[in-house]
Order: sequence, then C-alpha cells, then structure tokens
Amino acid sequence: MSKKTDAKSGLSRRAVLKGTAAVAGLVAGSSIGGFPTIWAQDDITVRTVGMSVSNMPQLEDMANEALPFKVQQTAAAIPDIIGRGLNQPKSADLFEPPFMTMKVMWPSGNFQAWDTTKLPEWDQVVDLYKESGKIWPDAWYGDGQNPSSVGYTSGPDSKDFVKPGSTKWITNHPVLHNADTLGIRPDVIGRPIDSWKELINPEFSGRAGLVAFPQIGLMDAAMAFQANGEIEYANKGNMTREEIDFSIDRLIQLKNDGHWRSLWSTFNDSVQLMVSGEVVIQSMWSPAVTAVREQGVSCIYQDLKEGYRSWSLGHCLPKHLEGKKLGAVYDYVTWYHTGTAGAFFARQGYYVVTWQNTKKYLPKAEWDFWYEGKPATVDIYSPFGKLMEKAGAVRDGGSYKNRMGRIAVWNSVMDENEYLTDRWNEFMAS
Amino acid sequence: MRDGIKRAPGFWPRAALFYLYLLFLYGPIIIIVILSFQADNASLSFPMQGFSLFYFGEVFDPHYIGDYRWPFGRSVILGLIVMVLTMGISFLAGLAFRKNFRGNIVVFYLVVASLVCPSILISLGIGIGFSNLGLTSQWWSGGLGAHLSWTLPFGVLIMLAVFSRLDPRLEEAAKDQGATKWQTLRNVTIPITLPGLVGVALFGFTLSYDEYPRISNVAGEDNTLPVELVNTLSLAATPTIYAIGTMTTIFSLFIIFTSFIVVYFMQKRRRGFGVKKISADG
Amino acid sequence: MAGLTAIFNRYSTLFQISPLVITLTLFLIGPVIAIIILSLWKFDGFMTLEGVWTFRNYEKIFSRSLTALNYWQTLKMLLITLGVTFIIGFTLAYFLVFDIVKLRTKMLLFLLCVVPFWTSAVIRTVAWIPFLGTEGIINQAIMGIGLSDEPLKFLLFSEFAVLLSYIQIFTLFMMAPLFNVMARINKDLIEAARDNGANSIQILWNIILPLCKPGIAIGSIFVIALVASDFTAIRILGGSRVGTVAASMANQVYNFQYPPAAATSMILLIVVLLLVGGIMRVVDVRRQL
Repeated sequence: MSKKTDAKSGLSRRAVLKGTAAVAGLVAGSSIGGFPTIWAQDDITVRTVGMSVSNMPQLEDMANEALPFKVQQTAAAIPDIIGRGLNQPKSADLFEPPFMTMKVMWPSGNFQAWDTTKLPEWDQVVDLYKESGKIWPDAWYGDGQNPSSVGYTSGPDSKDFVKPGSTKWITNHPVLHNADTLGIRPDVIGRPIDSWKELINPEFSGRAGLVAFPQIGLMDAAMAFQANGEIEYANKGNMTREEIDFSIDRLIQLKNDGHWRSLWSTFNDSVQLMVSGEVVIQSMWSPAVTAVREQGVSCIYQDLKEGYRSWSLGHCLPKHLEGKKLGAVYDYVTWYHTGTAGAFFARQGYYVVTWQNTKKYLPKAEWDFWYEGKPATVDIYSPFGKLMEKAGAVRDGGSYKNRMGRIAVWNSVMDENEYLTDRWNEFMAS
Repeated sequence: MRDGIKRAPGFWPRAALFYLYLLFLYGPIIIIVILSFQADNASLSFPMQGFSLFYFGEVFDPHYIGDYRWPFGRSVILGLIVMVLTMGISFLAGLAFRKNFRGNIVVFYLVVASLVCPSILISLGIGIGFSNLGLTSQWWSGGLGAHLSWTLPFGVLIMLAVFSRLDPRLEEAAKDQGATKWQTLRNVTIPITLPGLVGVALFGFTLSYDEYPRISNVAGEDNTLPVELVNTLSLAATPTIYAIGTMTTIFSLFIIFTSFIVVYFMQKRRRGFGVKKISADG
Repeated sequence: MAGLTAIFNRYSTLFQISPLVITLTLFLIGPVIAIIILSLWKFDGFMTLEGVWTFRNYEKIFSRSLTALNYWQTLKMLLITLGVTFIIGFTLAYFLVFDIVKLRTKMLLFLLCVVPFWTSAVIRTVAWIPFLGTEGIINQAIMGIGLSDEPLKFLLFSEFAVLLSYIQIFTLFMMAPLFNVMARINKDLIEAARDNGANSIQILWNIILPLCKPGIAIGSIFVIALVASDFTAIRILGGSRVGTVAASMANQVYNFQYPPAAATSMILLIVVLLLVGGIMRVVDVRRQL
C-alpha cells in the first residue's frame, strides 16, 4: 500500500474499497445481525452521538460508503452525551458514552440490551468485556469500574448488572479503549520520569497541570499520592469518604503552595499549556500529545511503572429503536468492528475492541508500530496525512500488551460521587 | 472647536477612555483576525504558524471536527425568528402597559425575573418539561422559548421606556383628525417608536445569535453556533473558529456600513416630511 | 365583523399582554416549577429517584462551607464587575451624550460598540488566551520593554482573566441604559445650573447622577443577571480556579447530579431576586421607565 494517502480522506482508496467489498459480501449474504437487510426503498438514517474521538467526518464518510443506509455522526462533550442520553433519548439512534457512566446510563431505563447472539463479531471482542475482565490472563484487573462489571444484564429490558458472561444480553457494545497517563515535556524536564509521583514533585511546582473533571482528575492525583507513599487506597476507583477527604485536602494544599498552573477543562488548554511550556507535566489525553507534537514541540505520553488509567467507550441502544431501524443500527455496529474502522482508529492511537479484525486492515509495518510496540520501519502517518513518527521511533508506552495489560485504575463513577463533586468544587473555589 | 461649541472640561480624558475602550473591545477581534490567517496545523494561540487562507476553507469544507455551516445558518434563522417575535410581543406588551392594567406590577416583576433567572435553571427546566411530555426539545421549539425568555425582558424594558416618552397628545391629535385606531397606530405610534423598535430588533437578534447557556440543554439534535463552538472547544478546536469570527465581523461591519449609507440617503430625501425631526430627538 | 372589532376593543389589553404572559408562563414559570420539583427529589449518587421527596438537597447546601465560599466568590466578582462597568459605562455614556454633538456621530460610535457582539462571545473569550498567556502579546510586550523578567502568570487562568472578559462583554449592558437615560435629561436644567454658577462637578453630582438612577438600576440588574449566570468564561479563562455558584452548579450538571444542581440553582435564583428586588426598592424602576 502506498504511503501517499489522500490527505482529505485519510485512508487510501484501496483500503476503503477492501472494506467496502467485505461488507458488501456480508450485505449480499443478507443476514447481518440476523436481520434481513432490504434497504432499497427505505430512507434510514442512523444518528449517533458520541465523543469527538470517534465521531468525525472521515469516519462518517467511511460508514456511509460502506453501508447501504445513511449514517450521521454528531460529536458532543461528555456531559452532553450523558445529558441527552438521560433526558432526550429519542434524539439519537446510538449513544456512545464513556464506560464510566454506564452505572448512570443503563439503570435509567432509556436503553435496551444488545443480543450477543445477533452480533457476528462479538466473538472477536476482547475478554476485557467478558467473564475474565482482562484482555490477557496475566493482565492487571485494575481498580475501579472494570468494564466487564457493567457489561451484562439479565434481560432485554432490565436495568441491572449481572455477572459477566452469564447471559447473552449486554448493556452496551464496547467500541474502543485506550490507556491514559501523564504527558511531559522531556526537553524541559531533562531527566527520565518513571513514576506517577512526579506529578506532585515540588521540583515542578507552578508547572504542573491537572484535568478538571472531578472523577478523572482525582484519580490522577490518587495515582500520584499512592506512588509517593502517602496513602494506600483500598480501591482508587471507588474511594471512601476518608480517602476522598485526604486526597482533596492534599490537592488544596498543593494549590495553596502554587503547585498547579492550571486545571484544564478544554482540550486546547492542555495543548496550549504544554506548547507554551507553562506546564511540563500534566494529566493529558493522547490526542493532545499528538497535537503538541504536531506543533514541533517535543512531548511524551510517559509510560509509568505504576501503570495506566484506562477508559473505554460503549454504544448504547435506545429503547425506541425497533424493526428496520434497529437492524440498521446492529449492522452499523457490526461494520464498525469488521476492521476498517479499527485501522482508522489505530492510526490515531486508539484500540478498537476487535484487534484481530483490525490486524487484517492495518499494514504490517503499522501494526508492528501501533500494536507490537516495535520501532517503526517506515514513517508513520495519521489518517489525516500528518507525519506522526519518523522511522525508528517507538510508540510511547510500547505495545498494546504493555499499555492495556497494566491498568492500575479504570475511569469510574464512584459511589461517593456526590460527595466527591462537592469536595472537588471546594478545591476549585479555594 | 467644532461649530464654535466649547469643549466641556474633561473632554479629552473622556474621549481617550472611549477610544481606549474601543481598542479594548476590538483587541480580541484583531487577534481573531490575525490568527485566522494561519496555515494548517496551527493552534489557537501565538506564535503564528504560517500564513494562508486554509482555515477559511475549513469553514466551508471541514476536515476536522466542528462543522459550523449548519449551526451558523440555524443561529441566524433562530436569531431572526426571535427578533421578529420579540419585536411583536414587546410592542404589544408596551401598548398594554400604557393602560396600567390590573396586575401590571406582577407582569413587570415576571419580566424582571425572566431576565435574572440563572440560564442553567431555565435550560434544565425546559429540557425536563419536554422530556416529561415525551418530546425532544429542538432549537426551534424549546430553544426558541429559552431565547425568548432572555430577549423579551430586554425588549419589554426598552419598549416601556420608549412608550413612556411618547407624548399621548400626538395620538390624540390624530384621533381628533378622524383617524381610526389602526391608522393612528400605523401612522403615528409606530413611526415614533420606530427607533425603540429598531433597538429591540437589534438586541433581540444579537442576544439570540450569541446565546449559549440558556439553549445549551435544549438545542436538540442540531446545534446552534454557540453550542457547536463550546462543544468543539472542549474537544479539539482549531483556528477555524477564528476564521468564523473574522467573517462575522466583516459581515457585521458591512451591514452597519450599508445601513448607515442607506439611512443617510433616505433621510436626505425625506427632509421635508418632518419625520426626521421627531426621530432625531433620540 | 363589527362584533369582532368590538370584542377586540373591549379586551384589547388582554390580547396585547397575553403573548408576553403566555410565553413567560411556558418558558419561565414552567421550568422553574419543574426545577423546584426536581430539587425536592432524592439523588442516590447515580440516579435521580423520581417521586422520592426529600429536603436533603437543600440541607446539604446549607450545611457545607462550599456554599459560603461560592457565594463569596460570586459576590466578589459581581461587585468588581459592577464597579468597573459602571465607571467605564458612565463615562462612555456621558461622552456620547454630552461631548458628541452630532446625532449621526453618536449613533455611529454607539454602533461601533455594538458590532463586536455579532462575533460570538465564545470566540471573543477564547481570543483572550493568545493575549494573556505567558507567550501572549501582553507578556511579550512587558518582557520586551523590560518591565519584568518573568512572564506574569496571573493574567490567564485566573479571576483576573475572567473579570477582564466580563468587563469587555458586559460594559455595553451598563452603558446602554445610562446612555438612554442621560439623553433624556433636559438640557435646560443644566443650562440653568450653569447660569447659577455651578461647576461641572456640581452639575454631575447634583443633577446628572440623580437623574441617572433608573439607568444605573437597570444596568446593574443586567450585569447582576449576567455575572450570576455565567460559567463559560470561567471554564475557558478561569483555569477552573474560580468557584462561583454558577461554576459549581455547572459542575453538578456536568456530573449528572440533577437534584443537587436544581437545589443550588433555586437558591441562586432567590438570592439574585432579593438583590434585584433590593435595587428596585431603592429606585422605582417601573415608575421611572
């Protein structure tokens, strides 16, 4: 496959055609998801709402080319996805909230369960979302809300969570996942960083950043406090009040010492802070690291010995779907996991949950770089045609196994969520 | 010395403050214009990366997240609808208030309450109302209502001020001459209150076009421009938003400029009608 | 037809005022009632338990120190914004009304103040970042002149940045009513005072300011409404350092804690209504409009 990609569509024509042919074959077989796929006279549009990570023009184009019905994606901020899912479920046909909100989304009763027997690609979905809750037997299970714990339910209209793998009904269809860590400016810091405790190292006072979302920011801080030996959390992903109090009080203490340059709540802030050098170590999301690099500033998504904080996205099926529309949504999600979307996301650093299918569509050189953590044998380009890494570079954090196999904590909504928000507000106001 | 009028003491400091204020007001706009001319891969801040029309192209043919074309159209249309409705409702309300009807104090306080009510509250409340009815709020239903709750107080307050200055004798004179209610309305009341109405229209459109908090929860499936902007900001905004800013600024300056010229020529031609005198009274 | 006109004439006031009342009932009273109900329902940490009535949301508001902190921050921002927008707004209005003679110029200058509002406030708020950041224009200028060796960090992601944005956007709301009220002042009054030997300061203090009271009242009401409601500027420019009531409430909404957020917003509404009511008691705005 030639390296020259059409910058506009990102993916080379051949790869898209390959994907289309594969799906066309399935469509011709007329039994995707067990639903008859006679779309000719129907004007069906599948509307999805999700994060910008996975809802963007290129993906929309890919879906529209590959599928016989229309797909319309809307990107929204996390609170809006949740808000709409909870309050206006009829406003979309597929919601893509982060997994950590499943405890809020699923019991709302606005969604129906997926039938795994009607999902041809379900077997390819990694075991993280199934019985074991781990991708590999020797992977870490992780504190907090492991995705498998909120994956299964008792029946199509239930609102509960049951033991993973015990039924065929799943609360949502996993989409993709990734592992988060701290972003650093290696050129300014000048020495190796290998532990979360560096986030609160006084050496970086006035130049550290934290994400402003309470659940996530608190967990990053917790990783730092525990790594620093200050406290041993029973479950970082579900803290007790005392643990929350300790953490928040420490955060306030650091704030008063002037440790935090900023708490960022918009993506651009996190990029800006790094680029300008105002911050040298902070909570970051991987696309932000990419954006910083694209401006010619060196930035590393640092592999740390205590592990990663991980998150996942899931497709929730609104209750109002039925008949042909429901079939279309099943087909869309099935297509999503046949591999072309997987390759598209892999090139941005995300892992779609069906890696074996992704492998089929990702050229070996790129597979080795993105998944195997091997040094790149070619220059690596993003789907938008931008140069991400030169040949010889190794992906930050290395292999899929190293990153997703060492999850210290999952993004979670804790039982003490309300208390957490109050105390976090105090942190902000102090 | 202009027209032989002496400048009051403190004129120069005040003038300086005024122009400094304009600079302050337009400062960010200048930044927006400058930064909108960057080349691909640019950020929202300095240093400036390259020089090109790339992001203007992005407005019409987006490759990154944030397709602002439809939201922009929606905001304009919503703004116009809100503008017309606000003008109409405020005008009628102004007429009613003149008569000091029973309960006018209550309605007045209602209007003020609508103004000061925290926007999040209204947004949440409308959203809940719709979802309890099993409906989905859209920008032209719940969104429209949310915006009206914001613009109507401005409109009503302005019309109240305008009407209180309206000399009733002018309308009485018309009636004495045999005009019917409608004729009085059309030929006396409306022309005199026109500047106020234009003010209401201006406020109505501007407030709606730019409004975010009240509509944030109730815009429905399709975003207005501010909602789309805030959404993309929290994700990964590019200088495309600056390109939009530049374009809207040029557009609005153009509108103002043209209307000024039009009004100027219109006034020149109507000099003999005496209408100018009344409206010149400010 | 005559019958219809007669009906219309008799109930004309009703017809005229009902669009306003109906709209406000639907989109003000309705939402407020919905929120009151929501604030009285139980929240279990994840979900709203509909129909389970409790005062707990309100109890929590009054029993934690966060509330006092939030209101203190909000009050601070409010007073500073009111003060600065008044000083600037008053001067601008004075300039336009008394110093500029030609109506056309008045209108032009006024419109120049309004034009920026057609560029989205969100974009204009974001545009402060290149201005105030450590690599931004102001810091480059300050360091270039040599006023300081280090970039000033408090300029951005701070209360200062948020206040700057408020003043930029809200001064117009203070200036417009003042402009309106000042323009109506009978020039003869001022002439008479001058003839009697009053100087400019005395005229300002004894004639202009008192007559501007309704304008000041309305302008203040606008600014209070705007500052108490805002959370976008705080999010973009405050670096999440500024904790006003609206910011806390936005956080609660963002974390789908709807009943607590509803209770917080009801209390805020009451406080704002009290403030505004206080102003309206001092200045009979209705009478003087």
